[in-house]
Amino acid sequence: MVKHSLLIVCIGALILGGCASKSSDERINMGKGVGGDTLGDNIITRPFAVVISALLGQGVEITEVIEARTPQGFLDVQMRGYNKAYGTKRFDYRVEWLDSNGMVIPTKTSVWIPVSALEKSEVSFRFIAPRKEAVDFRINTRKNKITK
Amino acid sequence: MKTKVLLCALAITVLMGCQPATKNIDIANDEGKAVMGLDYRDFDQAATAMISSLVRSGTLNKKDGGRYVMATGRIVNDTMQRIDTDQLMAKVEQEMMNSGQVVMTSAVGDKAGDSLVYEVRDLRDSDKADEFDESTMQAKRTLIAPELSISGKIIQRDVKYNKKTTQVEYYFQLRITDLTTGLRFWQEEKILGKRGSSKTVSW
Repeated sequence: MVKHSLLIVCIGALILGGCASKSSDERINMGKGVGGDTLGDNIITRPFAVVISALLGQGVEITEVIEARTPQGFLDVQMRGYNKAYGTKRFDYRVEWLDSNGMVIPTKTSVWIPVSALEKSEVSFRFIAPRKEAVDFRINTRKNKITK
Repeated sequence: MKTKVLLCALAITVLMGCQPATKNIDIANDEGKAVMGLDYRDFDQAATAMISSLVRSGTLNKKDGGRYVMATGRIVNDTMQRIDTDQLMAKVEQEMMNSGQVVMTSAVGDKAGDSLVYEVRDLRDSDKADEFDESTMQAKRTLIAPELSISGKIIQRDVKYNKKTTQVEYYFQLRITDLTTGLRFWQEEKILGKRGSSKTVSW
């Protein structure tokens, strides 16, 4: 009986937790403890939601890439993503700029930059090529282990 | 006697084994722990933020399409650490020049100035000038005056977080000034924060 109840709570937390705390305006994210109490926020059901989210390996998903050129001709890029996990995801990204021949342009700005994505919320990060000859880019990410 | 020597040898071996082996840092993918002081990763991050802001602002876009002549002014180290501010400025200057919008001058500047610019001129005006081919000597009024200057500050603030933890805040500030009008064209601040044991000294 207890097993069944736990299972039901788990499934409920998983299903309902994902769509919890939705604002009427998609641009606004009500954080944990700010909006109304949902299964994902609830003190009893939250641990289950967190465990299931971790078991599913939920993380950040990139949803949109916007590219533009500044009036001076520098490639400006914005990445938008969504953190599906129940927990802040901290990661680093490093951009490599490529010229028209696909060659990597060596720059001092190709370094690991930290990003923090709050749980169940949108995240955006923006980067600009320091050279006009950059026509494309390549991004690497890694888990940030030194930020809390 | 033999036992003593053996014990000594054993102790040395054990102690030597305890010392961490020296390894090169994988600069491209360093996963080393954070430190309370400023390390190269912090300078990399700060410089990238500065360069990105500067490029995005369009400040360095000269209307006639040419390049600005820029001098590096004073970069104040207001931290408790012995920092060479070139750790920040070398990256920023390099990227500004590589962007094709700026030429840095070594004739004027707090640290970036090259003393040889004036030494060769002193040589030209000295008796030793006779030793040189006159046509290769630098003529008068050939130096180009800077149009812009870049200056800034690195600030450190130590805040007691709790009994055992200290919070160290670093503020990297840079600004670009038009030397003709004195007007400030661009300014940026990047903050880096660290929290760690109060026993760790950040200088």
